Amino acid sequence: MSSHSTALLARKSIRARLGRTIAIAIAVMAGVSFVVGSFVLADSLRAVFDDLFAELSEDVDLEVRTAQEFDGDSAREPIEVALADELRAVDGVAIVEPALTRYAQLVDSDGDAVSPQGGPTLGVSWAGDDGLQGVTVKEGEPPQGPGELAIDKATAKRESLAVGDTVTYLTDTGSHQGTISALIGLGSGDSFGGAAIVALDVDTALDRFGAGTKADALDIKIADGADVIAVQRAIEDVLPERAEVITGEQLAEEQADEVNSFVDQFGIGLLVFAFITAFVSAFIINNVFQITIGQRLRELALLRAVGASGKQVRRMITVEALILGIIATLLGIGGGVLVARLLVAGFNAAGAGFPSPDTILAVRTIVMAALVGIGITMLSVVVPARRAARIPPVAAMRPEVGFTALRTRRLVIGTVITALGAVLFVVGLFARPGGTFGLIASAGGGGLLLFIGVASVSSTIASPVTRAIGWPVEKAFKTPGALARQNVARAPRRTSSSAAALMIGVALVSAAAVFASSLRATFVDTLENAVTADYIVTDESFQGLSPIVAETLAAVPELQAVTPVRGIAAQVGGDTKAFGAINADAFEKLVNPDLRSGEIAGLGLNEALIGVDPAADLDLAVGDTFDVTYQNGVSGQLTVAGIYGDATFGNWLIGLDTLESVSEAPARDFFIIGKLADDVDAQRGDVAVEAAMEPFPQANVQTNAEFRKSQEAQINQLLIIISMLLFFAIAIAVLGISITLALGVFERTREIGLLRAVGMSRRQTRRSVRWEAVIVSLFGAVVGVVLGTFLGIVLSLAVPDDVISELAFSPIIVVLILIGAVLAGLIAAVYPSLKASNMDVLQAIATE
Amino acid sequence: MNVTTPPPVAGVAAAGAVDAAKYYGVGDAQVRALDGVTIAFETGKFTAIMGPSGSGKSTLLHCLAGLDTLTSGATYIGDVYLASLSDRELTELRRTDVGFVFQAFNLIPTLTADENIRLPLMLGGETGDVAWIDHVIGAVGLADRLKHRPSELSGGQQQRVAVARALASKPKIIFADEPTGNLDSTTGTEILTFMAEAVREFGQTIVMVTHDPVAAANANRVVFVGDGKIVGEMADPTPDSILDHMKHYGD
Ligand SMILES: Nc1ncnc2c1ncn2[C@@H]1O[C@H](COP(=O)(O)OP(=O)(O)O)[C@@H](O)[C@H]1O
Ligand SMILES: [Mg+2]
Repeated sequence: MSSHSTALLARKSIRARLGRTIAIAIAVMAGVSFVVGSFVLADSLRAVFDDLFAELSEDVDLEVRTAQEFDGDSAREPIEVALADELRAVDGVAIVEPALTRYAQLVDSDGDAVSPQGGPTLGVSWAGDDGLQGVTVKEGEPPQGPGELAIDKATAKRESLAVGDTVTYLTDTGSHQGTISALIGLGSGDSFGGAAIVALDVDTALDRFGAGTKADALDIKIADGADVIAVQRAIEDVLPERAEVITGEQLAEEQADEVNSFVDQFGIGLLVFAFITAFVSAFIINNVFQITIGQRLRELALLRAVGASGKQVRRMITVEALILGIIATLLGIGGGVLVARLLVAGFNAAGAGFPSPDTILAVRTIVMAALVGIGITMLSVVVPARRAARIPPVAAMRPEVGFTALRTRRLVIGTVITALGAVLFVVGLFARPGGTFGLIASAGGGGLLLFIGVASVSSTIASPVTRAIGWPVEKAFKTPGALARQNVARAPRRTSSSAAALMIGVALVSAAAVFASSLRATFVDTLENAVTADYIVTDESFQGLSPIVAETLAAVPELQAVTPVRGIAAQVGGDTKAFGAINADAFEKLVNPDLRSGEIAGLGLNEALIGVDPAADLDLAVGDTFDVTYQNGVSGQLTVAGIYGDATFGNWLIGLDTLESVSEAPARDFFIIGKLADDVDAQRGDVAVEAAMEPFPQANVQTNAEFRKSQEAQINQLLIIISMLLFFAIAIAVLGISITLALGVFERTREIGLLRAVGMSRRQTRRSVRWEAVIVSLFGAVVGVVLGTFLGIVLSLAVPDDVISELAFSPIIVVLILIGAVLAGLIAAVYPSLKASNMDVLQAIATE
Repeated sequence: MNVTTPPPVAGVAAAGAVDAAKYYGVGDAQVRALDGVTIAFETGKFTAIMGPSGSGKSTLLHCLAGLDTLTSGATYIGDVYLASLSDRELTELRRTDVGFVFQAFNLIPTLTADENIRLPLMLGGETGDVAWIDHVIGAVGLADRLKHRPSELSGGQQQRVAVARALASKPKIIFADEPTGNLDSTTGTEILTFMAEAVREFGQTIVMVTHDPVAAANANRVVFVGDGKIVGEMADPTPDSILDHMKHYGD
């Protein structure tokens, strides 16, 4: 048999088994589509943001700003505006414009805040027509002097504001009034990416934003014909210490990178689920190949009998898979573009507000698609093809000989793989060899091995477990139920293989469920024991809250204690740490951080409260001092004033005064917590706090209980999103059960015909197949819940104690999963059960 | 066909066919598997059907049992024309009024011998006549094999289970298509003897297709089929008389 005849036989076989071929192709396609979709979506979004930021800084050739000592999350220190004059004197510099972006909030005539839907409320400086920030005038004249301002046209339209109207606006320095002199937009658009904008001329901005003599940065446009790099060098010579000059391109890249790091994380998240889907597909494909080789036993043996070598049989099956893999991959790439569009639409429907991007299909994406699509198909066929090659020619006459040849030492190998996977998973999570990469590689790899191992070992428990699951089915549905139960139990290997894909999906959902429940339990526990505050004010704008919010809240007489929580990045002993800054006297009344030594109240300048873990690591006790370097380059010493055990608010706390003494960056609060005065009832307190927070729409006021509920809701939402992303994998798993069952029905043609001949009705036939599917999927779900719970527990234990310190298990989710499994089984059974019940009775006698 | 007319020999015949025809294909390629068969099977009698391969024996049996439909003509069981029945009624009929024994693959591999015997009753949600079933099981000599699965039984034992299943629901008629075709002659004889006993002792009606004159000699009557037609018949046959008849009409 030449390789030509191999290809011919392979082609014919694909055509002859069209149903099976389509099923495999769908499984491959789904995996590929998801992978391609993830890449296309991330690439396309990234391109959108690259373009956006390039356009924004189009007019900025260079930017001067303060330098940061190391990478971290702190806001950049502002820079002296006076430096602008020195810069203007540098050769080749045409325009220097101080740039400021701060907090500003429009208030309408009733005193209510004007809030954009979801977007932030920003105040910016604007030098008018010469301005470099891409601002365009839509109507009116640029604002001049303290009496004027410009707002974005989108907000003006929504609030029915026009040029000439007098409005009130809030900034970090309080409430101000001004006349609208212009409606503005960004480039050709009327809005600033959904933000509500208040623009002031530079001097007014410096004053009203409380910036004093310092701006965020100095933007520079160079003279026509000047060389950017040469001007950059010249500027470097006149720069003071701790300042730097970068090009407009670098700036755009930096800004785009910031957004794109979210896009990347989002893309990687999607990819993880895409690979899970591909992995599940591989299981299905492998299973289908395995079954069909059993069914083709005689045909393959006959080929051997007429002279084909084992190698040729193997090659024929491999070529079959290859053709299939290629076709399905091509279809999958097309499907992926569609998936990307669907994902954008889906996330937007959920309120994500993605721009609608052009579709970018990178070469890398196509290569990955081929690797995944053809890769999983070929990997899935390796073992079945090897087995097929072992079928001896005599099996053409005596099939039972062939079946013996198909058997493997599955149990031994499966056990070894399971054990190896479990060890890798645990070691990866706890020992973390090789940092984050090592963690992902060994925990992820261990997880994969664990799934493969369990899928193969689970055949040993398939019989007893499915008999147990099937018991009520038999009781309820008598003979059809009994047949279903016995059909599942009689082929434990096939049962476990068909259930394997669902098992993986369910395991991931239940692992996530255990993780989420534990997270929630820990969180609730913390909130009940560690946080004694009555109100929690969180920031909804992602900009941080202006200190004016905390000041307003502190002035409410119904509250006895209020503290904002700010932050700065600083290095201690060479490692970057996140420092929190608080009002310690108030903090003591609001939080119970399990103080081990020292005192909280009376925390002085350059004193710190630290957690027990770093205290032990650095061998620090109350009264000891340690060196710190803040992100802006300021260094100093802190004295330990107290050591505490509960890390809910981080391990490093300093006073607000210490923060102010080391940083001039505009203060932004992550959140604010407050406590009712002793003699004030909750209802009166609620009214007072609500009223005080009325002008700050981005400040979300919640009582302790409301906060807890909203956080719990967020955890639940996360779980729902994870489950939805696993939808693809679970849909493939259902398809897998359906195919396996259909193949099983086909194999049992004679048996089903016989049953019909002796009086089984079509309905009973359908019922029997249907419950067979349900038992199989319940088996997968049960094994999945057990495995997933194990994974979830290990995962929860591996996470630091301040995130998860308590294990929790949600029986409701298990019940939901089992109900889901029954539904999955019913869906999987639709096609095979119809096929069985429509079968011609005469085939029982006719089929050889 | 006027389905309200009672069958021609209602009361006397357990089942029968009236001018039954079954064609496969069209034009030149048309095969007349049954070509105008009219026959009645008397209640309480054992009838053997003989004929060369491809003569239409199985087709006749399938149409009589309601497994297949006719091109024209009619078949009946008891006083019911099969053409008048819906799919559900036909299923019901097969479960209660008809018993089957095929040449091979008579049993569901996942069920025990006992469960296979009770299968039609279980499908109808009935327990049946327990004393009768115990009697049948005793008579086929399977009492000690009841908990075994088909794969643990010999070919002869499997066929005995099949016969017991056919008898269990006390059907109006049992159809057997070459029930001994796959068995050695000793085992085959056992099965046939048992079937003949069932007719004699329990008054069961049985119609059996066979190639073997020795097997056919267990019957009360032999019907010869050729090219889809009834070509002859004989009462109280012996192996010799059958061979004689076959020689006579064979060429
Ligand atoms: N499904 C079918 N399609 C076409 N021809 C058929 C079919 N079933 C039976 N036949 C033909 O009908 C004739 C009678 O078949 P059958 O009843 O099986 O014969 P017997 O059982 O006597 O050997 C044969 O010629 C056979 O080829
Ligand atoms: Mg026949």
